Amino acid sequence: MIRFIIVQNRQGKTRLEKWYGTYSEQEKQKLKAEVHRTVASRDQKHQSNFVEFHNHRIVYRRYAGLFFCFCVDTNDNELAYLEAIHLFVEVLDSYHGNVCELDLVFNFYLVYAVLDEMILAGEIQETSRSVILSRLEHISVLE
Amino acid sequence: MTPMKGLTVFIADLRKCRSHEEEERRVNKELANIRSKFKEPNINGYNRKKYVCKLLYMSLLGYEVNFGHREAVDLINGTKYSEKQMGYLAVSLLMEEDSAYMQTVLSFLRRDLHNGIEWNTCLALSAISNICTREMAETLTSDIVVQLLSPSASMFIKKKAALCLLRLLRKFPESVKAHQWAGRVIPYLGHRDIGVTQSVVSLVTALAQQFPDETRKAASFAVRRLKSLVLDNEYAIDYVYYKVPAPWLQIKLLRLLQYYPAPESPEVRAILLNILRHIIDVSQDTPRELQQMNAQYSILFEAINLGIHLDVDQGLMQECAVVLGRFITSRETNVRYLGLETMAHLAAYIDNLDSIKSHQGVIIQSLRDRDVSVRRRALDLLYSMCDVSSAKVIVSELLRHMAIADVTLREEMALKVAILTEKFATEYSWYVDVMMRLVSLAGDHMGDEVWHRIVQVILGNEELQVYACKISLQTLRAPVCHESAFKVSAYVLGEFGHLIANASDSAPIDQLKALQSKMSSTSQAARAVALTTVGKFINLFPEIKTLCLRVLDRYRGALDAELQQRACEYYALGTLESEDLLPTVFEEMPPFPERQSALMSRLLKRESDTEDQRTWVYGGRDINRERRGLASGAANSKDGSQEGPDSAETPSTPTSAEAEAAKVPESSALPVSAAADIQAVTAKDDAGNAQQPADTMPIDESVAKSRRHYARLLWENDGILYDGDEIQVGIVAQYKPPAGRIGVFLGNKAKAPIYNISMQAISADASKLAVQPATGQESVPETLMPLAQARLFFDASCLQVFTSAPLLRITYTVAGAPTVSELQLPVTVAHFMDPVTISVSDFFTRWKQLGDAGIGESQNVLKSAFLSSDAAALEWLRSVVGGMGFALIHGADPDPNNIVGVGIATTQAGRFGCLLRVEPKPSHGLTRVTVRATNADVAQSVGSNIKMVFESR
Repeated sequence: MIRFIIVQNRQGKTRLEKWYGTYSEQEKQKLKAEVHRTVASRDQKHQSNFVEFHNHRIVYRRYAGLFFCFCVDTNDNELAYLEAIHLFVEVLDSYHGNVCELDLVFNFYLVYAVLDEMILAGEIQETSRSVILSRLEHISVLE
Repeated sequence: MTPMKGLTVFIADLRKCRSHEEEERRVNKELANIRSKFKEPNINGYNRKKYVCKLLYMSLLGYEVNFGHREAVDLINGTKYSEKQMGYLAVSLLMEEDSAYMQTVLSFLRRDLHNGIEWNTCLALSAISNICTREMAETLTSDIVVQLLSPSASMFIKKKAALCLLRLLRKFPESVKAHQWAGRVIPYLGHRDIGVTQSVVSLVTALAQQFPDETRKAASFAVRRLKSLVLDNEYAIDYVYYKVPAPWLQIKLLRLLQYYPAPESPEVRAILLNILRHIIDVSQDTPRELQQMNAQYSILFEAINLGIHLDVDQGLMQECAVVLGRFITSRETNVRYLGLETMAHLAAYIDNLDSIKSHQGVIIQSLRDRDVSVRRRALDLLYSMCDVSSAKVIVSELLRHMAIADVTLREEMALKVAILTEKFATEYSWYVDVMMRLVSLAGDHMGDEVWHRIVQVILGNEELQVYACKISLQTLRAPVCHESAFKVSAYVLGEFGHLIANASDSAPIDQLKALQSKMSSTSQAARAVALTTVGKFINLFPEIKTLCLRVLDRYRGALDAELQQRACEYYALGTLESEDLLPTVFEEMPPFPERQSALMSRLLKRESDTEDQRTWVYGGRDINRERRGLASGAANSKDGSQEGPDSAETPSTPTSAEAEAAKVPESSALPVSAAADIQAVTAKDDAGNAQQPADTMPIDESVAKSRRHYARLLWENDGILYDGDEIQVGIVAQYKPPAGRIGVFLGNKAKAPIYNISMQAISADASKLAVQPATGQESVPETLMPLAQARLFFDASCLQVFTSAPLLRITYTVAGAPTVSELQLPVTVAHFMDPVTISVSDFFTRWKQLGDAGIGESQNVLKSAFLSSDAAALEWLRSVVGGMGFALIHGADPDPNNIVGVGIATTQAGRFGCLLRVEPKPSHGLTRVTVRATNADVAQSVGSNIKMVFESR
C-alpha cells in the first residue's frame, strides 16, 4: 500500500503531498523534510530508485527538477510503483500539455483530482492512460 | 474547472515574495480579507470556492488555517460539480476527523452516494476514502457495498467503491462487517473491465488475509484471469503499457495468489505453472526501452515470488535461481537490487541452498555496492542464506564490513550478526569471541538488547561460563575497552568470577583491579553495572570484602542518584551484622528462560509494518517454516480483529507473540535488576523503563478522540455518550453488582421533530451479560419534538465475565430520512466492581500471589496525560481509580504518587478479586498501570478501560 506520495523540487519545496494514512501535522512536516534529505542526496546515475525509509521504502523518480516519491510497504512491488510514477507523470503531461513545476503550483487542486482518478486509498485504481484522460476531460466540462 | 483568476494572482503574489516575512504579511492580509468575505451574507458559490481554495493553498504552505470549515461544507452542499469537488477536497485536507462538521458532511455524503448522478457518487466515494472516519465505516459501508454490486453502477463507481471499502476495512475492520459481503465481491475478479478488476483484486487481497474461507474461490478466478491475460492474449488495448498487457493487474493477481496454498486440482496447477513459465520465458530477452523493461521485470519478479510460494516445481525453482544469479550482476542498479531481494525470498524457502551459495562471492561483493539500498539487500540476503556451514565465513565478512559500513546500516548489521552467531555457533569460544568483537566494533550503533542478549546466552549455557570469564577479564585488561564490552565483562565476572578465581592472574583481587581500572572512564550506566558487580564480589569473595567496601564507599557520595543509591544499598548490605541477607540477595541468577530473543523481535517488528501481511520474512528457512506453520493455524481463527497500522500483526501470527515476549520486562537477565530482590519496585521500574520507548505503540488518535465520551463513562456514572447534530445521548448508570441499571436519555438536537424512535440494547453474548428494558416504565414516545428528551432504563445483569460491551441501537426518522445509530454502551465487566479495603501487608501478599499464579495480569505503559507531577493530575488519577470502583489503599506504596487499589468484580457465576497499581512517572511522561486479577478477562477489561481513559483525557 502507498503510505504517502510527495513531489518535491530539488530545493525541497513540496509541490504535491498526498497522505493515505493518518499523520499529524507535525509528523507530515518531519517526513517531508526527511524525504527530501533521503532522496535528493542520492546519486541519480549509479543508484537505484529505491531507498529504505523508516519501516517502509521510498520508490522515487526524478523528472527535470522534480522528485516524485511514493512511500510503499516493504513487501510491495517496487517496479510496479516506479512505473506508476511514470504513468502519473504521463497523465499530468497530457492533461496540462507538457507539464512543468509551475503547473503543479498553480493547479494544485486539479492535481488532487487527477490523482484520485488514478490512485485511491493508497492502491492503484486505474492504469489506462486513455481511460483516465477521457474521464478527466469529461468532468472538466462539468460546472 | 475554469481557472480562478483571483487564485492565480494570489499564488503569483506569494511566489514573488522575497522573504518569509513578506510572504507571511501577504498571507495574513489574505486571511483577513477572506474572513471578512466569509462574513458577507450573500457570498456566491464561485467566490466561496475561490477563497476556500486560497485557504487550502496557504495551509499546504504550512500556515495554520483554522476557519473556513463551514464554507467547505457549504460547497459540498452546492449543486455545481467544481464547488462540490473543492468542498470535499477542503474537508479532506483541512478538517480533523472529530470535527463538529463531520456529521453534516456525513449526511451530504450519504445524499451524494444515492442521488443517482454518477460523478457525485464518484466524488463521495473518493471523499470517503480520503477522509475515512469511524462513523463513515459504521453507517456507510452497506451503501458502498450496494454501489459495488449494483449492475447499473458505472465502472468508475465500481472501481472507487471497491477501494473505498478497502480503506474502511483496513482502518476500521471491526466496523465494516466484512464477513457479510466478502464472498459476494469475489465474482468481480472476472469483470471484463480491467480497471474494475484491478481495484477489486486489491480489496480481495485484504479480505483473503482475514476471511480465507469466504474468499476461497478467489484463487481460481485469479488463475483464469491471468490465463486470459498472459496465455490467451485477451485484453483491451487501452491497458497495454509499453507493449506489456496490463502489468499492474498481472502483478496484483500474482500477489493475491500468494495468500492461498497451491491449487489442489492438477489442471489448475498445470495452467498456473504454464503462466509462470511463460512469464519467465518472455523476460529472457531484455527490451531496450526502460519502461517496457521495468514493466516486464515487475511481473517477472512477482511471478518468481509466486513460484517460490507455491514451491510447485523444483525445475522451475532452479531456473529462477539461474535468472536471479544473472540479475545480481546486472549493470542496472534496480535489477541488482531486486535480484538480491528476490533471492532472499528464495533462500527463505528453497531446500537446497547450493544454487544460491554458488553466488556467495558476488553477494559479499555487493556489500560494497555504490548504492546503500543494494548493500542493504545484500546484507538481508547473506542473513537469509546463512547456514551452519557458511556461518563462519559470512559472519567474519560482515564483521569486516562493520567498520566501513554506513552508520545507518551498522545497527541492523550488528543485530543480524548477533542473531546468526547465536543460531549457528558450534563452538562456545567462537560465540564469545565474535560477540565481544561485535560489541567493541559496533557498540555505539546498537541498542542495549545486543549486550543483554549476550548475557542471557551466557547465563543459559554453563559450558560457556568459564571461557566467558576469561575473555571478560582479558577485555577489561585491554588498553581500550568499549562500554558495552565493559558491561558484559562486569556482569559476567560478577556472576561467574569465582569459576576462574584459582587460575593464575585471575584471583579475586585481580578481577577487582581490572574492573576498577576501567571504571573511571566509563559512563554512569556502565558504572552502575560495575557497582553491582562489586556488590556481588563481596558475596563471592569474602577475602576482598574490605576492598570492595572501599570502592562502594567512594560512590556513596556520587552525584548521580542511581550510582549513589546502588553504592549505599550495597554498602549497607555488606556491613550488615546478619550474614544471611547478602547471599540471598546476590544469589546466582537463574538461567534465562528460553523465549524469542529480543533481537529477533526487533527485526521482525520492523519488517511487519506492512498493510498486506508479508508472506515471508528475511532469515532463511527455519523461521519462515515456523511462521508458515503458525499462520496456517491462524487461518482457522477468523478473529478479524486487525487494527490499522499494525494489521500485519494478526493475533496469531508469530510477530504478535514476539512483540508480547519483548514486552515482558527482561528482569531476570538485566544486570541492573540485581537489586530486584531488595526492592522489587524500583528494579522493575528500571526494566520497565528500558522497554518503554520501543514498545509504546502509536495509538490511532482519531479513535481516541471520538471515544472521549465513552471513556469518561468508564469511570463516571453519568455523562454524555454521544453528541451529534441530530441527537444527543446521555447515560445515567447505577451498579449493584452483579446488577446494574442504565438510563439512556435521548435528546433531539435537530430543528425538526424526530419520529419512529426505538432504542434497543444488544448484548454480544446474552449468556454472559443480559440487558433488558426495565419493567414498569413508560415506553419511549414515538415522536420527539426539538429540544425534548426521552428516556429509557435498561436492567443489566452480569451472569459471567464478558469481554465485549453491549451495543445500543437507536433508530429514528428525521426529515424523512430513516437513521440508525449504533453506539457502544459503556458497560464492561469492570463496571461490576465493588471497592474492598484490605491492609497494606495483605495487599502485597495478594499482589505477589496473583503475580506468581499468573492467572490474569494486564500491564500497560501509558503516555501520561500530564507532564509534571502536579497535584491536580494526581488527584484526577485517584478519582479515576476510585470512580472505577476500587478502594484506594493509602501508604501501601513507597512512592506516595503511586496508587494502589483493590476491588472485587461480581458476576452471578462468581466473584473475582482485582488488584491495581498505577505508577505515574511524570518525568518520563509515562504511567505504568498493572492489573492483577483472579480472572484474565477481568484484568484485561480493567486494563483496557484505564488505557482508554488515559488516551482520551
